Amino acid sequence: MHTATKVAVLALALVAAGATTAQAQNNATMNVTANVFRPITVAADRNLVFGNVFPGQGAQGMALGSPAAGHFSITGEPSASVSMAFVVSPLSQGANTLPLTLNATYNTVDNAAGTSIVTFVAPTATTLSGGASGQLFVYVAGTVTPAANQVAGNYSGTIQLTVIYQ
Amino acid sequence: MRVSLTILSLAFGAALPLAAQQTSVVGVRPLAFGALFPGVPRAVLRTDPANSAQFDLKGHPGGSASLTFLLPAVMTGPAGATLPLVFGGNDAGFSGSQSITSQVGFDPRTPYLATFTGNRASVFLGGTANPSVGQRAGAYTGTVTLTVVFF
Repeated sequence: MHTATKVAVLALALVAAGATTAQAQNNATMNVTANVFRPITVAADRNLVFGNVFPGQGAQGMALGSPAAGHFSITGEPSASVSMAFVVSPLSQGANTLPLTLNATYNTVDNAAGTSIVTFVAPTATTLSGGASGQLFVYVAGTVTPAANQVAGNYSGTIQLTVIYQ
Repeated sequence: MRVSLTILSLAFGAALPLAAQQTSVVGVRPLAFGALFPGVPRAVLRTDPANSAQFDLKGHPGGSASLTFLLPAVMTGPAGATLPLVFGGNDAGFSGSQSITSQVGFDPRTPYLATFTGNRASVFLGGTANPSVGQRAGAYTGTVTLTVVFF
């Protein structure tokens, strides 16, 4: 009985001593990840040039594959989805404007026989080429229709192409 | 003699401290910034269910735990390129219910003392990646470590 009491006291003392310093530590490691895309570059390689046009002669222009057609080159992340948006200014000379109609195509290879761009008002979604370099080519052609009393002179405008990742 | 041995066994059985019961911290989901574009920072909120980091903790009801993050200053990518990371004062969250929609925000840059209601909890982490304008393209990685001291 006396022995049992001494043992119990010893055990309780061990419990009391351990409770003041009891801790457990754990840790875990987690990854942080990201994928940086190549920046998009858009180059206006060639202007859209109608050359000499004549009043009252109807629509005058060129084909998409013509060296007078406009040409953009786009590069970026291979196979990335992008959106193309155009802003077209009037073809003008001071207060005089020249009626303009545009048509355009895009292709992942440098060939005008690609997909037609339906509208210049809303963005067009597409995908850059795969492989080692993501690329896209845009061809812009059109017609101008000078009125019979069109004021003579040099008319100019701009076509701005903005390409963003989607 | 037999009585003495029985008492000794019961005393040792009761001496097991609560804090030494099974505790754990497990990484559940990485912090994923996804697609980044040069010059365009991207923030991931700690409430983002797909991209925020999540750690699940197992403790004891009513117990406390000190949470300490070891945070990377950068991610490392191709050819040793580095991509800066920033962690702000509200980028970590503790949820005693393991719910991403029910967190108490805290600063992951300093230790945080959390209290368990049940025996499980979760910690969530967001942050901001700051790719430079000339950031090299490619995959970047880093590591985050959460150390939990259970009391």
